[in-house]
This record gives sequence, C-alpha cells and structure tokens, in this order.
Amino acid sequence: MPTPANRGVETIDNIIEVKGLVKVYNGGIRAVDGISFHVERGEVFGFLGPNGAGKSTTIKVLTTLLQKTAGTASVDGLNVDSDAAAVRKIIGYASQEVSVDDDLTGRENLRLQCMFHHLHKADAEKRINEILKATGLEDAADRRAGTYSGGMRKRLDLATAIITRPKLLFLDEPTTGLDPQNRVAMWEYIQNLNKEGTTIFLTTQYMEEADRLADRLCIVDQGKIVAEGTPASLKAEIGADVIELALKENGETSARARARSMLEAVQGVQEIREVEGGVMVFAKNGPSLVPEIVRRLDSANLPIAQLSLSSPSLDDVFVKHTGRKLRVEEVKAPSRMPFGGARRRRRM
Amino acid sequence: MAARDFFVEVAGVFGRWLRKTFRRPSFVFFALVQPIVWFVLFTQSFARIADLPAFAQYSGGASYLTFFTGAVIIQTVMASAMQSGIGMVNDIESGYMDKMRVAPIHRASILLGKVMSDGVRILLQSIVIIVLGLVLGVTFATGVLGILAILVLAVAFGIAWSGISTLIALATRNAESTLMISILTTFPLLFLSTAVMPRTALPELVQNIVPYNPISYVAEAMHGLILNGFDYWTLLGQAFLVILVVGALTLTGTTMMFRKAVSS
Repeated sequence: MPTPANRGVETIDNIIEVKGLVKVYNGGIRAVDGISFHVERGEVFGFLGPNGAGKSTTIKVLTTLLQKTAGTASVDGLNVDSDAAAVRKIIGYASQEVSVDDDLTGRENLRLQCMFHHLHKADAEKRINEILKATGLEDAADRRAGTYSGGMRKRLDLATAIITRPKLLFLDEPTTGLDPQNRVAMWEYIQNLNKEGTTIFLTTQYMEEADRLADRLCIVDQGKIVAEGTPASLKAEIGADVIELALKENGETSARARARSMLEAVQGVQEIREVEGGVMVFAKNGPSLVPEIVRRLDSANLPIAQLSLSSPSLDDVFVKHTGRKLRVEEVKAPSRMPFGGARRRRRM
Repeated sequence: MAARDFFVEVAGVFGRWLRKTFRRPSFVFFALVQPIVWFVLFTQSFARIADLPAFAQYSGGASYLTFFTGAVIIQTVMASAMQSGIGMVNDIESGYMDKMRVAPIHRASILLGKVMSDGVRILLQSIVIIVLGLVLGVTFATGVLGILAILVLAVAFGIAWSGISTLIALATRNAESTLMISILTTFPLLFLSTAVMPRTALPELVQNIVPYNPISYVAEAMHGLILNGFDYWTLLGQAFLVILVVGALTLTGTTMMFRKAVSS
C-alpha cells in the first residue's frame, strides 16, 4: 500500500512495469514466456510458484543481471537494459543462494557493500552499526561469516542488500532453507522494512509466505502468470470449501477416476481435481457434504486414507489453475562444509 | 567525483582479495612451505649438477642452489598466478559475482582490484623466497638494485601469467578444470625452459624448444641478475618485452571474456 508520504508526490505510480517479458536461455529453454505485471510503489509484491517457474529469471532481468529476449521492463521509470547503471543505484537484491564472503567478517561484508555504493565513511560506519543491531548480528559482527549459522548468513545477506536503503528491494526466496523459527523472524523483518517505506518484490514457493507478506501476488508456473490478485481475492475466486481426499493404496489404477465419477454426482460439488494419491473436491457448504462423500466412496469400495476439510488456500488456487499441487520441500538446515567452503548450487 | 568513486571501488575489491588471501591457511603453504621444499630438497638432490662442465661454464662457479633461486621464484610466481582464476570461478559459483554486478560499480573495478591484489601476493611471495635464499647463502651479484629488478620482473610476469588462469576460469567456469589445466601447463613449460638448467646443459631437443618458451626469457634475466649481472639491459629488455607481449594477449583476452561473463 502506498504510504501517505509518497502518495501523490511521485508521478509514476508503478515502480515496476513489465510487458510481454520473454527470456529464452542459450539452448532454447524458455524460462519466462511472455509475462506482464506491475508493482505499485510501497507494496509487497509476490511471485508464488514452484521451482523452475521462472521466478529467479524474472528477478535477474529486473536487477540487470540478465538480458531479456523480448518485451519491455522498467524500474522506477528506467529501462533495465539501457539505463542499467541508474537502476543499480536504487535497488537492493538478495539472491536465492546466500552470497556473503565467508572469509570476511560480517562488518567487513557490510563495509564493502558501502564502498560499492560510495557511502561516505562516517555515514557508512553509523549505518553498519544500525543494521547489525537491526538484524541481531551485533555480537557476531567481527567474526568471519564462514562461522555463522544458516539463519545468520541469510540475515547478513539481507543486511548487505538493504544497507544503502534501496527504494526497491528484490528478495529471491528469502526463507528457503531456513528453519520455522528463523522464517518467522525473517517475515517480521521484511514487514518492518516495508512499513518503513521500501517497496519489496519477493519470490517464494511457500504459499503461507505469500499469503502472509504479499499485498498483491502473481501465481506463476512454467514461465507464465496463471493468476494475479490479492491473496484474499484469489482465495475468494475459488468460492468454495476444499475437501481433500487421500485414497488407500489397493493396487487399483483407476481408483482416482472412479472416485471422481462417484463424487461428481453429489449435489453441491462444484469441481473435482485428481491429484497425486487422491482427489480434491471444491464445494460450497463442504461440512454438510462430508457424510455423503464418505458413504459413496464406501459403497464403491474405495477406502479413504485421509480426509481434510478447509477453507481455500493459495495452494488450492494453484491446483485449480495448474492441476498440480505446489510441492513444498521439507525445511532442512543447509548442509555446510568445514571452513565455510560450501558450494551452493546455481539456479537459473 | 567519478574518479574518486572508481578509486574507492577498486580499493574495496583489492582489500577484499588481500584479506581473503591472508586468511586462508593454504596461502601460508604456497608462500612458505612450498618454496622451502623446492629450495632445500631439490637443490640437495641435484647439488652435483654444479660439477657438470656445461653448468660450471655458465654459472662461473656458483652453486646449483644459487642458480636455482631464479627457478624457485618463477615456479612460485606461476603457481600463484594460476590461483588467480580460481577466485573468479568461486565468485561466479557462489553468487558473489552477481552481488558485485548488481552494485553500481564500474565493471573494470572488479577485474582491476583483483589483478592488483594478485600483484601484491606475488610480490610478497617473491620477497619470502629471496629472504630464504639469503638465509641459505645465496649471493645476488647485482646487489640490492638487482633484487629490486628481480621483484619487478616477478610481479610483471606474475600479472601477465595470471591472465591465462583467469581466461581459463572464465571459459570453463569450473575450479577443478582451471586447476588441472594450470598444473598441466605450468610444469612442462618450466622444465622446457632454461629455468632449472642452463641452455648448454639441456638435451638438444629441449634446446630447440627453449627459444619459443616465454619462460626462458624471464629465467635468463633472473639468472643473469643473480649470477653475474652481465648483459644487464639486453636480457632484462628481452624479458620485459616477452612479458609485455604475453600480458597484452592474456589481459586483452581476459577483459573480453570478463565483459562477456558480466553482460549476459
């Protein structure tokens, strides 16, 4: 949401404008396939989608790291190709792979970033102390980043991205690889940054994250935008409760199809989607339909392994548009090698 | 203002690499342990080379240890120069290169700061070897001035040679390949030059290769400065000319590869 301070003062309301963006990598992989969207000044805007949806590629085009194949993209009214140098002055970027220098201390990492942004020494030192405090890294400031925990490295990486107070901050999967506790802390930190006036563009594969942080979001899949709106409006679009049914394995290959045809006849069911291991039923007044559903499957000799009833989530929105579930990986502590020499995988 | 900004950027990159170098235990190994191994073991095993008439004629009675000082400097400089590219690959792999590319800095700062830090590392390693040589009893015929000339030669050669490693690194984007190709080029070139043996004492086949190997010219200048200082300007002039040509080729290639790497 635009803050009162910047509303009306700026002539350009959208800090990001993207039209028909296409990125084809050498070798023909069409990572981004003609997407258009805009980000309003002051909001938190999310890109929700699975791995390989084109989220990182989009960020890399907007942060001037990658050249697009087709389409137009502007940041704060500046063309990302021809005005790349000017774009770099106003953005901050934290990549998916944490890129802090493990041989330098936290403070040195931040100081280097200040030098790259040409901050005056006195201002820089003041700002470094502020940010160390804000990210809870004060005590570890003069230790090498290689000795930090996963959560601390992620926070230091974020600190290097925001030390110059960018107008626009790009966060590529800011909580991937964090444990639940660190994840919640990171969410709160991102929300505070936004309250202080930073526009944030973030990508995520976690629907809770998009739901909680984003004012508006796009659901992306295979290089395309499949849905766009506020989390509430996207969920309201489903307009129904979601009954998730997992069927017991009994060797029958057509079990899902049979279940589907059995349940299609139930009064009040709006839509049925076959998913891995079972079916999802979209229906108004879900609770009142549960007994009928159980009875029908029972009479058809289709034993139920699990049944859950919920109001719609962004995950359900994703299923509705793509027919697949957003596969959320287990949260694991990132594996580390001694001396901090961990090789992190490259992503497109 | 722009010039000041550029200076600050280069200083930042330069300082980063110096810190990284001195905080790595491997640096101590490369800077100290390896030259000692070369100096002490190699020259002990091959001390009798000094008895060869062809060697004695060239060295004017100096020990193989004294002669070998130039070879240790060259070998260390080449090994050190070959590390340059590894740092670049690691930055690309870890995403740190992207972090620098998103920052509003001149692209040349990233390369220049790195090259300068390589130069300082090579300078320090060469000083260590010369001090080690003095401790072991090596005398430098051309004195302090000669030692300064050797250091300038070593750093210039090292910077020119580091371009090869950076070139391989940017082309392969793989640390293992860079290291492997580096080792495969360093040792044959070293042993097919006049670094470890005077030309007249080498087999005929190798003697024919020597003039085409740039290492020979650097070695000749080093040996000249250490052993007798004769033909001061000719040998030194030839060595710097060769370094200039190698440097122009490798650094131009590196700059082009780097531009490609940071633009796409």
